[in-house]
Amino acid sequence: MTNRIHPGIEKILQNIEKVITGKQEVAKLSLVALLADGHVLLEDVPGVGKTMAVRALAKSISAELRRIQFTPDLLPSDVMGVSIYNPRDMDFQFYPGPIMGNIILADEINRTSPKTQSALLEGMEEKSITVDGVTYNLEKPFFVMATQNPIEYEGTYPLPEAQLDRFLLKMKMGYPTLDEEMEVLQRAQKVPPIDDLQPVISLQELRQLQLDIKEVYVDESIRRYIVELSSHTRSHENVFLGVSPRGSIALMKASQALAFIHERDYVLPDDIQYLAPFVFAHRIILRPEARFEGVQIEDVIEQVISRVSVPIQRHVAKYE
Amino acid sequence: MNQKSTKRNIDSFLLYVFSFLLLWEWLRPVEQLTGTSSINIFLGFIFGSLLLAFLGLPLVPTVVLKLIYILLTIQYIYFGNVDTWIDLFLKDFFQNAGSILKGQWTEMSDSFRTLLFFALLWITTYLLRYWLIDRKNILFFFLATLIFITVLDAFSPYEADAAIIRSVLTGFAMMGILTFRRLADSENIQKNGRIKRKWMFSLAAVIAGSAVIAFAVPKADPVWPNPVPFLKSLSGSGNTAVNETKRSGLRSDDSELGGPFLPANMVVFTAEVEEPHYWKVDTRDVYTGKGWISSSRDGQPLNFRRNVPSSLFSFTEKVPSEERTSIVYNEEDHAHIQYPHGLQRIDATSSYRYQLNQQTNGITALNGAEQEAPASYSVQYEHPSFQAKDLEASSPEEADRSFQAIADTYTQLPENVPPEIRELALDITRGQETWFDKAKAVEAYFSSSGFAYEQVDVPVPSEDEDYVAQFLFDTKRGYCDNFSTSMAVLLRTLDIPTRWVKGYTEGTYLETNEAENKIYQVTSENAHSWVEVYFPNIGWVPFEPTQGFTNEDVPELEETTETLVEEETTENIETPVETPEQPVAAEPEPEEEVNDASQEAPQPNVGLFLKTNWKNIVVLVAAVFVMAALFYRSRRKWLPFYYIFIYKRDRQDHHFPKAYLVLLTQLERCGLKRKAGQTLREYAKEIDLLFSSSSMTQLTGWYEQYLYRGSLPKGTWENARNEWESLMKKTR
Repeated sequence: MTNRIHPGIEKILQNIEKVITGKQEVAKLSLVALLADGHVLLEDVPGVGKTMAVRALAKSISAELRRIQFTPDLLPSDVMGVSIYNPRDMDFQFYPGPIMGNIILADEINRTSPKTQSALLEGMEEKSITVDGVTYNLEKPFFVMATQNPIEYEGTYPLPEAQLDRFLLKMKMGYPTLDEEMEVLQRAQKVPPIDDLQPVISLQELRQLQLDIKEVYVDESIRRYIVELSSHTRSHENVFLGVSPRGSIALMKASQALAFIHERDYVLPDDIQYLAPFVFAHRIILRPEARFEGVQIEDVIEQVISRVSVPIQRHVAKYE
Repeated sequence: MNQKSTKRNIDSFLLYVFSFLLLWEWLRPVEQLTGTSSINIFLGFIFGSLLLAFLGLPLVPTVVLKLIYILLTIQYIYFGNVDTWIDLFLKDFFQNAGSILKGQWTEMSDSFRTLLFFALLWITTYLLRYWLIDRKNILFFFLATLIFITVLDAFSPYEADAAIIRSVLTGFAMMGILTFRRLADSENIQKNGRIKRKWMFSLAAVIAGSAVIAFAVPKADPVWPNPVPFLKSLSGSGNTAVNETKRSGLRSDDSELGGPFLPANMVVFTAEVEEPHYWKVDTRDVYTGKGWISSSRDGQPLNFRRNVPSSLFSFTEKVPSEERTSIVYNEEDHAHIQYPHGLQRIDATSSYRYQLNQQTNGITALNGAEQEAPASYSVQYEHPSFQAKDLEASSPEEADRSFQAIADTYTQLPENVPPEIRELALDITRGQETWFDKAKAVEAYFSSSGFAYEQVDVPVPSEDEDYVAQFLFDTKRGYCDNFSTSMAVLLRTLDIPTRWVKGYTEGTYLETNEAENKIYQVTSENAHSWVEVYFPNIGWVPFEPTQGFTNEDVPELEETTETLVEEETTENIETPVETPEQPVAAEPEPEEEVNDASQEAPQPNVGLFLKTNWKNIVVLVAAVFVMAALFYRSRRKWLPFYYIFIYKRDRQDHHFPKAYLVLLTQLERCGLKRKAGQTLREYAKEIDLLFSSSSMTQLTGWYEQYLYRGSLPKGTWENARNEWESLMKKTR
């Protein structure tokens, strides 16, 4: 399979590679989400390089990185910003919060109260925030990478399903391999490479790429394939709640971005199949009995993919 | 028995079925050739025995079941419902056992013979099981069956044509299956896998194919004549007439003479005569090179009641004659009147009318509108005494006016008659001046010169062979048709008018009745043909060229009378009576005869064709099906070439997707099926890995563009064609 990468994207990936060892897939998927104007939920334990990855990404695209460490006592105003009365001007002045940036790292998003969570998530969806009756548009591009610790559940506020839907992709970072970790150690002895990182693409260029991605052709057969996959998740025997139409849209957008990254102006079923687990996993709720039986969402998605027949002919609708 | 031998599967079942069929072939002739009846009982026994063997029942129940069957059968056939039949049977048994020990074979009773036959069958089925399961070799039994059948076919009336085919097919099928089993055992092959299917399939194909070829190829004629008639004549009449074609009466169509003469001894009529004479039925005037037809000269059939019209001209008044009467008692339904030479008048009941066909000189009796000969009638005729000196004096120079017409008609010969016949005729008649001398010379020629009377081994002339020439120069053996036709044709080459006469000889003498009349019985074996020669101013004079026959009416040469008579009588006294004769003419229906002449080539009849050839057609259809199935099954091998050929000429890009889909189907046929959820790209990688190529990925890349992008770069098909062709070829 010829997997050429778009030259601009290639540079970003190389940049990230300089900092993070062996996490090309995470980097690529993050770029997919960034280009598709979506957001990413990283589910992983601390210390695997989430922050570093995001920082590298931000630096490569010369974007401003804001980090919000979510804690139970964090308030919405801590995220969005606050209006303070300025006695000199005899007026309220708005001090923007960390959300007013290009790339937001929302660390341990499930540790804060639903009130604060929804403030962020609303901004993610609307691309704008309203403080004291004034609406502020967020920066473009606006990209949130939220992390979630799957180990500790005590004192956490799990994100409601409706909120999870707002993330384009959910993925896991995973531990590096032995070799990779040794490489990490070796790099840690020197000056952190992140400081030397140069931007390879301007924000302006990135915005253009985001526009280009919308032009990637999605054939009718592909659209049908996406819809069939989604509807299969809804009728799957182990699934309590299947993928919503918003999930279908997400999959299409993500696949467009992926096709673009691979320098293609059309989407392949391969793109869909590659992305489906990342797009669908957090949008499916298993039946409790299936969960007790140890069924994994990933297995369900795999089954769905294997059951839905890939379109290989034109104008022939295939339903199962 | 070990485990695998008793395993019941489809090919074991087939083996037993085939064994049953082969064993059946042994019983079929038994039924036909011996007095054995109730053959189904023995068949049932074989069937039961083989079924038990197939089911693999333990020994004791098998034996018990078989004994019960045998005893019940014997009781049913021989003892009926007698309560004490067991006693009777035991008594009979020991008595017969005693006679066997004493060597008195003929003393055995039927019931004991049946018992022995059952025992024989039992042993045979046991042996069959042994050959099939333990030895896995049936060759011996198969050969024995074939020898048995072919010997019977050759030396008995049993017709084994179908039996030979059946046995060969079943035998080969059995040997094929058993060979596979032997191989499977020695090579430790999985017995129920693909290999077996392949084996069975090719076995069926080979057998079907060779059967078709065997059917289709031309076969040589037998090297020696059929010995059955000879054996029959040795054993007397016997009941061996089973396989003979029954021919009653005379043939109506003589346009294709030749072939064996298979008479049936059917009484046609009985005659009460003052002196024995030949019986004419009708005559033929046109020789075709293959046989005789009648010319289509003008002349309506003449109706008459008693007195025969003068157009049935036999001879002139110059010939001294004597009035005689014969009475005919018909014993077989036909419409023609058989009559002596010189017929004047027919007397039957008044309701009968008669029709004289002027072309054939045949007389048909009409009862009202019905064509039907009277059960009995008397014929009044002038018995001629042809005088040699008158005949010698007769010559065409002093012919009367009617002669020219007769000469025109009765010296006809086909254009392609071989010139050797005329040369031979000139040779034979060298030194003979008069027509009579020439005719007698030709007639006498057949008594010598190496000619032989033969009824069975008489060939039909081939397409471009003259019937007379074949007999005169090649075979020199035949029956009356050969002799009479040859004489007629030989004389015609000398421009002497002759005609060919069909009828009966005088028949077999039975007795003399009170009125001093002789009673003769005429059967279809007495059917005969002879020659009449026309002498100007005298008329038609009969001649008898056939060896071993004598016609009292035939005039003799003056000086050689004694010798000739002696020579002929010695032979003829016994032969003409007993020797069967060629059935010659048929119901002489005058109108039909003309039709016959004009319809020499029979119309092709579809129904008849199907009826006579249905076996061939079935075999042909089966063969076609097998071929088609083979062709279909092997489509993986040849379809690529077909498609390569088909797509060779197409240059437009829109053919590429079709070609790609063809490739996908072809790969599927090779067992490389794409899973439903597998993308083309993954599939292509798999295929390329398998064929160690990169063609599939390339092709798939193009196809993806077509399918998911909706467009193809120009010239794609041109570029892709080579990859496509190489992949198609690899899939074979």
